[in-house]
Amino acid sequence: MTTMETLNGIFRMVFDDDSIQIERQMTANDIDGWDSLSHVNLITAVEGKFKIRFTQKELLTLKNVGDLLDHIERKAA
Amino acid sequence: MNFEPIENGQYNIGHICSTLQCSRGLAGKTAMRWIDAGGSCSDYTFADLDGESNRFANLLKGLGIEPGDVFFTFLPKMPEQFFAFLGALKAQAICGTLFSNFGDEALLDRLGDSRAKGVITKKSLYKKIARVRSRLPDLQFVILVDGESGADGVLGLGSLLAAASKEYVTPRTPAELPSVLHYTSGSTGKPKGVLHRHGSILSQTMTTREVLGLKPDDTFWCTADQGWVTGTSYGIIGPWSLGVTQVHYGGTYDARKWMELLASEKITVWYSAPTALRMLMREDEEIFRSSELSTLRHIFSVGEPLNPEVIHWARRLLNHDIFDTWFQTETGAIMITNRPGVEIRPGSMGKPVPGIEPAVLGDDGTELPAGEQGNLCLKPGWPSMFVTYLNNDTVYQQKFKHGYYHTGDTAVRDADGHFWFMGRSDDVINTAGHLVSPFEVESALLEVEEVAESGVIGVPDELLFEKVMAYVQLHDRYTPSRELELKIRLHVSNRASSVATPQEIIFCDSIPKNKSGKIMRRVLKAMYLGQDPGDTSTLEI
Repeated sequence: MTTMETLNGIFRMVFDDDSIQIERQMTANDIDGWDSLSHVNLITAVEGKFKIRFTQKELLTLKNVGDLLDHIERKAA
Repeated sequence: MNFEPIENGQYNIGHICSTLQCSRGLAGKTAMRWIDAGGSCSDYTFADLDGESNRFANLLKGLGIEPGDVFFTFLPKMPEQFFAFLGALKAQAICGTLFSNFGDEALLDRLGDSRAKGVITKKSLYKKIARVRSRLPDLQFVILVDGESGADGVLGLGSLLAAASKEYVTPRTPAELPSVLHYTSGSTGKPKGVLHRHGSILSQTMTTREVLGLKPDDTFWCTADQGWVTGTSYGIIGPWSLGVTQVHYGGTYDARKWMELLASEKITVWYSAPTALRMLMREDEEIFRSSELSTLRHIFSVGEPLNPEVIHWARRLLNHDIFDTWFQTETGAIMITNRPGVEIRPGSMGKPVPGIEPAVLGDDGTELPAGEQGNLCLKPGWPSMFVTYLNNDTVYQQKFKHGYYHTGDTAVRDADGHFWFMGRSDDVINTAGHLVSPFEVESALLEVEEVAESGVIGVPDELLFEKVMAYVQLHDRYTPSRELELKIRLHVSNRASSVATPQEIIFCDSIPKNKSGKIMRRVLKAMYLGQDPGDTSTLEI
């Protein structure tokens, strides 16, 4: 399973929507329920699944799914 | 602005916010500039607002909605939400609004308790209703803004609108007729339906004019979601009742985008929330130094106390004061406020709105002198005072004691008449401006297989004012883990809402309860804060 596919599964679980199909350019505006509080759930899930940790500074630079994916792949490498 | 919104005894909110504005010559004026998340703009005149809300009134009547029936919007911020809200009120239905991040349990509580007859939503949100649909026997139809008609009373909005006329004459509506319904959390039991009446518009109009200071040529931006009372009282009713142009933005929080909007849309009065303002404070200062805010006249805030640091930050970087306002779902409109022309005492709630008589009372009902902390109460009788808790008049009556409405907040009045918020007199948590019931969160937690007991409290938080914090005791056969913590968080998010999700979970061996089994949240809070828990003689662990 690719990182993108795993991440897609996390999005579906966190936002409780099996129809989600993430794309690199997607932002919080594209997914129902992606607010600042559910974002914490998303990051917690990503950190747990990929066994990585984000710094506060890294979290502030995440602008879309692509940024998140790049950080995951760099950290998990 | 001398315009008075009530003509010929017509108090109907939907009529006043649209039809009346057209008849006073504002038909061609922009009522709403809608900006979607991608930045595309659509302008709607008051004539558009009138026509589109008329179509909703007609289609709801066609679906069998009668005066007094309950209809809900369950949508993110989008034009159809505004049209449906005003249309439902024109049809004399009671219109409730549901925060689009509510989970299925929260929806079941609200749609079930109100015996809602219809709801408008979108496909991606409908799945939450579908899960509980079999337990909602009164729900006759669900309108999808982006879907087609199907089974189980699901109706596509497109075909309904195509058949609905833009002509509608709103029946004369007395002030007493029920209008807007918002659910609010208490410290015990299920959320309570706070019911308002069409006459509440008098308070909303007056405070929009006298507190927010809106004038005919203003462009107003209220960032509140329409799922909450600020979003309806000041994101719909107040400004449109005065014919003022509003900007509504469908995107999420984004500091640069927000600053761009303030500048490009020439916003003159901006109403936001302390949590959002504190989020802005954490951003790169360059964003604000480079912002062009020359048209901005005033900034207001509501939701939770505004800490002085935010006011000082805004003075330094935005070159503006922020005026904190205070009201509740139950009060329907601003009651105590800071406002232009009156000295701001940073951190204070401000002074009463004209006509509002607050008092700080002791538990025995005696009025306390300046400087003493007590129960913040209001003399009943203002126009936007709620009329009942739906199906729970007993609790409604309990809110009125010693000739006053008891707000549940505690406060101090200083010698000069400024009020200062001190806290809640119950266990309700104020997180990011939203009231969260610990009972609701505990109920959701107990649905998680691994959880045996839980105790939920609000603890101070720099960003959220208070954060939801859960002590969780697991059944003996389970052990804490990060995976379990995530499972718990997601369960609460999806059953209740993202707002109710515990931001911190502490696994513990037991939850302190008294001899009658009541969770001792006071003890949990003291434990968390490292304070003396006080009298624990009734404690039974």
